[in-house]
Amino acid sequence: MSDIAVKVSEPIALRARLNEDWLALVIGLLVFALALLSVGGADVLGWAVNTSVYTDVTTALAPIAKAYAWLGGGGALLATYAALLVVLSIGVSTLGADVKKFAIAFTAVFAIAYGSWILGSYAHIAAVTPAEQQKFGIGWSLKLTNEGGYVVALIAGLIIANFIPGLANWLKEAIRPELYIKIAIVILGATVAVTAAGRLNLASSLLLRGAAAIVEAYLIYWAVIYYVARKWFGFSREWSVPLASGISICGVAAAIATGGAIRARPAVPVLVSSLVVVFAVVEVLILPFLAQTFLWQEPLVAGAWIGLAIKTDGAAVAGGGITESLIMAKAAAEGIKYQPGWILATTTTVKIFIDIFIGVWAFVLGYIWTNYIDKGPDKAKPIEIWQRFPKFILGFIFVFAVSMWLALGSTPEIAKALPAAASEANVFRVIFFILTFFSIGVLSDFRKLWQQGFGKLAAVYFVSLFGFVIWVGLLISWLFFSGFKPPLAS
Amino acid sequence: MSQPDLRSELNAPVEPLLPIEKRLIGWSLGIGIVLLVILVALNHFVPIKL
Repeated sequence: MSDIAVKVSEPIALRARLNEDWLALVIGLLVFALALLSVGGADVLGWAVNTSVYTDVTTALAPIAKAYAWLGGGGALLATYAALLVVLSIGVSTLGADVKKFAIAFTAVFAIAYGSWILGSYAHIAAVTPAEQQKFGIGWSLKLTNEGGYVVALIAGLIIANFIPGLANWLKEAIRPELYIKIAIVILGATVAVTAAGRLNLASSLLLRGAAAIVEAYLIYWAVIYYVARKWFGFSREWSVPLASGISICGVAAAIATGGAIRARPAVPVLVSSLVVVFAVVEVLILPFLAQTFLWQEPLVAGAWIGLAIKTDGAAVAGGGITESLIMAKAAAEGIKYQPGWILATTTTVKIFIDIFIGVWAFVLGYIWTNYIDKGPDKAKPIEIWQRFPKFILGFIFVFAVSMWLALGSTPEIAKALPAAASEANVFRVIFFILTFFSIGVLSDFRKLWQQGFGKLAAVYFVSLFGFVIWVGLLISWLFFSGFKPPLAS
Repeated sequence: MSQPDLRSELNAPVEPLLPIEKRLIGWSLGIGIVLLVILVALNHFVPIKL
């Protein structure tokens, strides 16, 4: 991201981010709308590729719907690739990207990222229960479920970034983690709603607890980290605001939004964003495994903790997915089988609540900076709240609301058909997650970031994250979620 | 867009905390802690329902 974003001017960068938000919203809604057609009997997404756990790779892939079985796994993979290529190429052309370069790079990105996903579904990596191991005739497994493919994709990206920089540079036109994750989050609204409709009490309880996440991120984390950056490390206000926002709120989007609000030089929040991505990678590699080891008996505490500790949307939500797979695997090995979706839903709810207020916080900071610090003729305008609001969140809320209404307020026939439709949409959510993780890995060139003078910035991040954010997040998660478990699978 | 020279900027004189920054930090923390206490209490009376 740093290489791409550093070269653009502030108005263009801001416009691109806003357009990216809208683009993510449009693509996410398109996937959701097409998936919903299956409720009426027109299955137009059933050709999308789905990967199962395997020992013989030729059996790994298949279309999601049996009606498209004639396509075969390879055909479904090609159809999925072609559809994504066309839609995303049209999409990025609206952002001013070079479509030809994007198409070539995306082809490679998709191949490596989805290849990682397939590798992650290998039985020795993914099989969880003894019954599954017996089914596949294997004596051991890493028990990561097939979502271990996220980690494989991330590692593949890291290898490219740090050992094959030429390839990383060649791929950069299609390395768009923010776009991919925003699309995934819009689609995720359907999965969350279908999951929530089954347990309304728990869902409403999760929503209530989102308020604690907002308070923690904006009022406590931000204030402490801003103080640490200014007082202990001597950073200027221009650096401290994006840094505090990136570490405490939601990474890249918050750093850019608040950096814009205080009129920081465009490169400042962008460089901070690179740091955020690097730390998000480190967190994703560590925290889910810590959660599995120490919090597997408190799955919702683990989900909330991941949402509070990992500071980019993509890494947090995918980290929640990895945590869910790891904890469900450990619980299954102990004979406890939770309904899937609740740990991820907890992470996502916490993160979404935090995201929603970025615009408000950017306005608050913009107001203070224009009226008290950089006094000038400009006054912060209320419309800035709207301008800074992450638009893709509207898509998530819309998809969630429509899905919830279909699940609870429509006919029994529609409610019955909805989970299958949500599953078809979820295939694309998973693919966008994989693309996100691979992209984050490719952006994380540790040597280059260090050469740019990141040591002191990283020190602020390290001190804040490991000295404060993680532990306070754990405490808050424990206070609000301990003792409550996801429903058991029937 | 000019690339900031982070190394030289880190050696620049430290900008002192302005009163408005201190107020922002203080009020944020104060309101945050009070709200968290209220929410923890609410959490006690409105537990998660399965």
